[in-house]
Amino acid sequence: MRRLLEIRGEEFPIWLAHTGKGYVVHARGRAVHCSLTRSHGKGAFLLELDGRSIPLRLTVSKTATFIHLYGRAYEIGRTDPADQQVEGGTGTGQDKILAPMPGVVVSVAAGPGDRVGKGQTILVIESMKLETTLSAPRDGVVAEVPFAPGEGFGLKDVLARLAPEEE
Amino acid sequence: MPIHKLLVANRGEIAARIVRTARARGLAVAVLRHRNELTGSAHLIADEVVEVEGPTPVAAYLDIDQIVAAARRVCADAVHPGYGFLAENAAFVRALDAAGIMFVGPTEDVIDLMGDKVRARAFVAERGFPVAPAAIEDDDPTNFVERARVVGFPLLIKPSAGGGGKGMRVVREDASLEAEIETARREGKRYFGDGRLFAERYIERPRHIEVQVVGDGRGNVVHCWERECSIQRRFQKIIEETPSPALNPEQRAEICKTAAGIARAVNYRGAGTVEFIYAPDGAFYFLEMNTRLQVEHPVTEMVTGIDLVAEQLRIAAGGGLSHAQAEIRQTGHAIELRICAEDASADFRPAIGEVLLMEEPQGPGVRVDSGILEGSKVTTDFDPMLAKLIVHGPDRAAAIARARAAVQDYVILGVTTNTGYLDAILAHPRFLAGDVSTGFLAEEAPVLTAPGDDVTDILLAAAALSDVRLVRAVDEIPEMHRLMGAWRN
Repeated sequence: MRRLLEIRGEEFPIWLAHTGKGYVVHARGRAVHCSLTRSHGKGAFLLELDGRSIPLRLTVSKTATFIHLYGRAYEIGRTDPADQQVEGGTGTGQDKILAPMPGVVVSVAAGPGDRVGKGQTILVIESMKLETTLSAPRDGVVAEVPFAPGEGFGLKDVLARLAPEEE
Repeated sequence: MPIHKLLVANRGEIAARIVRTARARGLAVAVLRHRNELTGSAHLIADEVVEVEGPTPVAAYLDIDQIVAAARRVCADAVHPGYGFLAENAAFVRALDAAGIMFVGPTEDVIDLMGDKVRARAFVAERGFPVAPAAIEDDDPTNFVERARVVGFPLLIKPSAGGGGKGMRVVREDASLEAEIETARREGKRYFGDGRLFAERYIERPRHIEVQVVGDGRGNVVHCWERECSIQRRFQKIIEETPSPALNPEQRAEICKTAAGIARAVNYRGAGTVEFIYAPDGAFYFLEMNTRLQVEHPVTEMVTGIDLVAEQLRIAAGGGLSHAQAEIRQTGHAIELRICAEDASADFRPAIGEVLLMEEPQGPGVRVDSGILEGSKVTTDFDPMLAKLIVHGPDRAAAIARARAAVQDYVILGVTTNTGYLDAILAHPRFLAGDVSTGFLAEEAPVLTAPGDDVTDILLAAAALSDVRLVRAVDEIPEMHRLMGAWRN
């Protein structure tokens, strides 16, 4: 069974298998025997790996695994390659405006159904006390602007979506 | 006049910190809450919560009429403003005064004076305290260039109406002075609609050193020593300590005496901070006075043993100062780390998310002032500072070691924080040597944001084995296929 994991922007395809005796993680061209057991304490686990016992704190969200290890916190993005294929589709990259950083919507200039030209302002956001104007990546019709003025959003959230292009 | 009930007109860690002291002094305490805010630490320990309304939580916390009405509604006889929001707003003090409610802080005229940077600077200079040599164009526009030249190089030219570093020019030699003045004037006009200028001696490699002062408003002022706040990113402090490693005992006494003198000159009431720019040659210049409790006040509390919020409440109630100057000593060394939801490796971009798992460090000499709880949602509605970790040790080296151990033990999962970055600063040889200036973080950025040891294998294995869907799918494969699966890869 495969997963696509991401650490600090770098992607790692991994494969998890069971040998009958225990789990093996195949990653970065190596197969490693390992096991994870819960220990006492909030989110506390013991990872057995390569003959070492490593204590760590761990919690998971829908799309990421958060690990506190050796005094540092890490976020590991998690995607199921099967899900990714469904999301993919053709040319959707050109249809969406993703948030370049977390922030708040200041104003919305175009709403669902509006026809916009390439470069035309769709919305204005504020992040880190700076206003940024986000404009249409191509000519098209606005399908969705999910956040209203005053609402906050996260990094890479979809701020606007254009209707798919008609060929 | 004694205080019976206090309204805390703030939120986050500082609201909780004020509630603790007020309750320990036997006061009833009310705190505010906006409907878009989740429960914070302060809401759990206050006696009463008052709802405030507004299009955003920040707007509600800045709404003078509404906060005065809230104070009336809960029958508070005093309001503590914390820092930020309405803490340095003279109109708020006047509104409370009209409602017969005490403001825990200085008088409105001192807030007004110190809030106007040009007036404050002139006030301080007139009384013989050190300000950086400067020429102000408005004093006499006909000879501004000559007066700027007399100040000496390097010079910093700023728009009089400016702020935030816009339109500022550093001029290193006489030959380019007039051209730079014209450029700065054009920029000032463009950014602020005002071309008037101000030229000040530019201090290279400055430190930011400030002094805690406490006054009773009846002429008595003491200082509670200095804080070194040179570790800054985006002009905001993230690590503060006391004593400053830059000062010898004579320099320390001089800067603290100067700060107390400035506070005495305005007959200061309450807790305040006088900030200075400290040059590598030991010269120091008045920068500004903050007429409120500072974020970094706990380091002072750790070395002096004085609860500054208790002092504020005591002075507001007319109780005077609790200590004479000779009784206020610095014992050991204290360091504060500001825990912020931000990504230090992406230019300190604010991070948002939900705090899924949290555990605060503990141990001797460790204090955590936090505004968040497990389950708290971190949004961009407020400042990215989530909590402060303050440690105390017998000396600077011991305090740094304790700070490193504590910040490594601070578990916050679910939202990106700067704990690893703070640890990297504490480990840097220049920080250990006390060899820093306000440019330190920018100069050392590549070292401070370098990834640590490669723990990728551990992270991948733990992420795979904690993925319930993945493990279940693997467990459901019959024995034979499992083996084949392994081979196939």
